[in-house]
Amino acid sequence: MDDVYPPHRGVSVIVKPPGRRIGVVVFALFASICLTTFLAARGTGYTYGPAPHGAALTPPQLPSDPAASRKLLAKLAAQNKQFATALDKLSPAGTYVVVDQTQNRLYIMNDDKIVRTAVCSAGSGMVLKASGSSKKWVFDTPRGVFKVRNKISNPIWKKPDWAFAEEGKTLPTNPADRFESGTLGKYALYLEDGYMIHGTLYTRLLGRSVTHGCIRLGPEDLQAVWDAVPVGSSVYIF
Amino acid sequence: MRTGILPAVALAAATAVAAAAPPAPAPTPTPAELARLTLQNDLLQKQLELAKAKEFYLVLDPQAQTLTLMFRAALLQQYRVEALEVGVPRVVYKTRTDVSRWEGRIWEKGTLDPARELDRVEMQAPPPTPEGTEVEVKVPQTPEEKYPVPPRYHIRFAGGLSIEVRPPDTDSTRGFWARLGESLSAWFADAKAASQSEPTDTVRLHVVLSKKDAESLYRALPPDTKLLALPPRS
Repeated sequence: MDDVYPPHRGVSVIVKPPGRRIGVVVFALFASICLTTFLAARGTGYTYGPAPHGAALTPPQLPSDPAASRKLLAKLAAQNKQFATALDKLSPAGTYVVVDQTQNRLYIMNDDKIVRTAVCSAGSGMVLKASGSSKKWVFDTPRGVFKVRNKISNPIWKKPDWAFAEEGKTLPTNPADRFESGTLGKYALYLEDGYMIHGTLYTRLLGRSVTHGCIRLGPEDLQAVWDAVPVGSSVYIF
Repeated sequence: MRTGILPAVALAAATAVAAAAPPAPAPTPTPAELARLTLQNDLLQKQLELAKAKEFYLVLDPQAQTLTLMFRAALLQQYRVEALEVGVPRVVYKTRTDVSRWEGRIWEKGTLDPARELDRVEMQAPPPTPEGTEVEVKVPQTPEEKYPVPPRYHIRFAGGLSIEVRPPDTDSTRGFWARLGESLSAWFADAKAASQSEPTDTVRLHVVLSKKDAESLYRALPPDTKLLALPPRS
């Protein structure tokens, strides 16, 4: 009765061919490398959280004496008033003009509120090289703050040298030949350094950067600027 | 007559006593009150400093949810911040920088990344003649054509802070594959930036603006802009 088959009882060892075993090990290694890389990559980069609110303020050194404490409060309040007044003096009061020269938009502002948005044209950024000389002109609209120095209706344009160079014309010997009427539209607001806000004959080009540095507006928007913006107002160009 | 004088005398006496008595001392200020005023003064001083400078500046107000472009204390443009998050670099889950101290200080030399290139055209004037030369004028591109806006861009400031501007994720104008591609390239760029020996951005403010505002800010931002991020006020 002892000849029961199989003759051995207990654990049976299955011997697999060595090639298959290596394959499993390689696969496990590859999978763990992939997983580790994925997890490491997931934890690398920038981690975002909500902006902290109610951040702890560093309390100032408080004097132990109540009288000195009150004195400190009075000093801080006076400083506060001084800074606020100085800031208020710098900010424009009433009507001012903002020009976004990249996107060709002009805004009439009043006390930080947009009163009117207009499509304009600003400097092309082009460089014009004179023929036969090293002279060149750059047609940029400058950034900064400017004051409206003067307002002229039916302005006459005194053509500068570049206007002749651009048209391939010789410079006039008679200064009167430089004057041209109608080109600047119905009104011109003179800023500093020869720059102006004026009208245009080429209304189809409004919204594109085409000018020689001035700000061009269509007739209705020019009328609105003429009516709303007094001499002395600030024009901010960015 | 007597009855008329007495109340007047009593009133005069009471007034004299009141004037002679020392005034009731003002209440002692609380530490919170002093801290609030100190912070307010510090911010006002910084705004004044910015307003007196020659550079344009941005004021980020998380509480009011606005990002304002200013110059000499004048408001030029205001953008509504739809969401704001603060990001810090980390490598294998380990944060590399401290997130505090980005508010209430002036960050300088803000530049766009990728840069908005100004493509200058050079034109040679024709030789001058008395009758002139008819020059063919090309109609220039519109700003939208000239300056394409990337879906995600940075305004990087000296000192390690950057503003990352993105349109909302719900922007349906981009397809699934486009957004997936952008996410992958953004993750790769972030991982690279965070694992450098000196991270590109030590603090990154992730600002969500509407698509229109994000594009407008990219096209309009002047060079070397400064930034002041206002801390929360009580």
